[in-house]
Amino acid sequence: MYIVRPATIMDLPGIERLHTGYEVRVTTLPSDRDKLSELLHNSTESFQGDIENPHDASLIFVLENTDTGAIAGVSGIDAYAGSGYPFFNYRIEELIHASHHLGIHTSTSILYLSHELTGSSVMRSFAIQPELRNTPYFALLSRARFMYMAQNPDSFSERTVTEIQGLLDDAGDSPFWNSIGRNFFDIDFATADYYVGVKSKTFIAELMPQHPIYVNLLSEAAQQALNKAHPVTEATCQLLFREGFDKSRYIDIFDGGPVLMCPTKNIQTIANSKVKEITTSKLVGGLKYLISNNHNSAFRCAIGNLVDGIGDHIRLENKVAERLQVTNGDFIRYSYL
Amino acid sequence: MFVIRPIERRDLNDLFEMAEESGVGVTSLPANHAKMDLKITRALKSFTDDIEQKNALYLFALEDRTTGKLAGVSAIESAIGNQDVWYNYRIGNSVHASQELGVHKQTKTLFLSNDLTGASEVCTLFLREPFRQGVNGRFLSKQRYLFLADFQERFNERVIAEMRGYSDDKGMSPFWEGLGRKFFHMEFKEADYLTGLGDKWFIAELMPKYPIYVPFLSQSAQDVIGKVHENTEPALALLKQEGFRLNGYIDIFDAGPTAECRLPDIRAVRESVVLDWVLDPDRVEIEDPRVDVWMVSNRKFKDYRVILLSGSNVNEDSIHLSAEDIEALALEPNSTVRAVSMRPATNPFRSKK
Repeated sequence: MYIVRPATIMDLPGIERLHTGYEVRVTTLPSDRDKLSELLHNSTESFQGDIENPHDASLIFVLENTDTGAIAGVSGIDAYAGSGYPFFNYRIEELIHASHHLGIHTSTSILYLSHELTGSSVMRSFAIQPELRNTPYFALLSRARFMYMAQNPDSFSERTVTEIQGLLDDAGDSPFWNSIGRNFFDIDFATADYYVGVKSKTFIAELMPQHPIYVNLLSEAAQQALNKAHPVTEATCQLLFREGFDKSRYIDIFDGGPVLMCPTKNIQTIANSKVKEITTSKLVGGLKYLISNNHNSAFRCAIGNLVDGIGDHIRLENKVAERLQVTNGDFIRYSYL
Repeated sequence: MFVIRPIERRDLNDLFEMAEESGVGVTSLPANHAKMDLKITRALKSFTDDIEQKNALYLFALEDRTTGKLAGVSAIESAIGNQDVWYNYRIGNSVHASQELGVHKQTKTLFLSNDLTGASEVCTLFLREPFRQGVNGRFLSKQRYLFLADFQERFNERVIAEMRGYSDDKGMSPFWEGLGRKFFHMEFKEADYLTGLGDKWFIAELMPKYPIYVPFLSQSAQDVIGKVHENTEPALALLKQEGFRLNGYIDIFDAGPTAECRLPDIRAVRESVVLDWVLDPDRVEIEDPRVDVWMVSNRKFKDYRVILLSGSNVNEDSIHLSAEDIEALALEPNSTVRAVSMRPATNPFRSKK
């Protein structure tokens, strides 16, 4: 059985092992061990509500195989994008250049550096073992975050965003970066990405050109990559679209990838989730649901069968109840899988 | 004998022919009858003081007195950008630096500006093909400084000259291709023509207003920023001789540079001297125009005239003129002239200004 729970410092080696291929958007999960351990400490404090400044709250979840204890995936949320610093994006706008006299009317896309999304909640750091990609555990790992948000609405922003990895070429280079950032840094995308990991995204972003950028002056490849998601993110995007997320006018300043956005209360998992008191039971039929307990630092989310009736109580299979660390009389939150 | 005089109405047809000869890149001579007529009218009014000072255009003609033919023109705008809007890109610098990353990168950045508004401009230098010999070109260009010297109060202290930017044999401007075309959706020639007509509003309507980071431009566009057209290099050399320096502003269409000098610092203004004249039937002819030629103006505003003369005729406090010279300059008795050596060489009377 797989469950999602808050990550602890003990999970550090397991998370590190997930660092393979393109699965992890490197910029949101540092490969640097000290940085990662700092992140895990901060996450634990965030779950416990021990954090000094709520703007720093950053939650890391892991997908655990309860049979083996192995870490099979990781996902995260930053409660407030930027953590008190500006959260940078490019906002795409259209400018009209027109001359009636000459009969010319053209529309030009322009990129403005924006801090507009600072303070949004950000879905981040998603990585899962490749063999689990096409299983329900993919949704479990991703949507468990929404279950947590549903029970702690005051801890999150009214707006939730997620930065989707942008197009890379076969060499792993970003045409968008090569056309913009590289001109100002003389470092390749991977190096920039590394610095984002060990420093911060804001740190690098503050060095980016401050003036708006005319898209028609960028390389053809960069224009093509603008607001396009990397194919490996297809499943993630589909899941988020189903949750109610949509493309926005914002893109990542490094690789030009899209920023998906949704009002937090409209996220389908949150909007459709219900809370009921449980009665444990040996066997339960019905449909598969995402089910979570109502704890914070002992948060658990799993997949289990439920029969959603009209009563105030709902029956929960013993095995699942045990994994969720709930018992008769406790409350669970559940949402369609 | 060649003489400089203010433009006249009868020059219209010659001017129009010149505009057609001048081709792409010489925007101040529009091949359009109505516009040319307006231009002459403005120039005529300027020399009769019939126009607001800041709108004055002093258009000078180089005439071959033996044939009466118009050999070329040159002009001074008393203040640019007052009726329309004067645009340049200023070549600026943006630094992106981080000690921690070991990054310190300077990036050339073009800032759209109207900074040169109000400056005086030496412009519209054009010499017709058959006359492109000897010192005619220099004469046409440098005689303007004698005018500036005598009528400084009519001009801005800041004097500029826009240099035609690089374009290839086919008239294609790489800078235009790399930037302007993407916003204007027209040929360089067309934009150039429209500017010449004075229809500059379209620039405001279509031009990108935000700064342009130079690395975003194609390499060929980057390469010609601040580069002058081959045919304009001699003109730039002349300006530099007179103390003009490139000032970091470029044309928004072809990226040609702007040269600038403070009016009182212009060599020919500084070195020119005011002298009495004496009639001398045996005054010395010019032997080698490249060596000893001087420009002599009659210091008149409305009937401004300039001729060339051998430097051998210049003494410490007077200048020797033939009857023909006096007639060409339309000098009255007891008047003075202003003179300066064409070459910025030694001028023994500098101190006696």
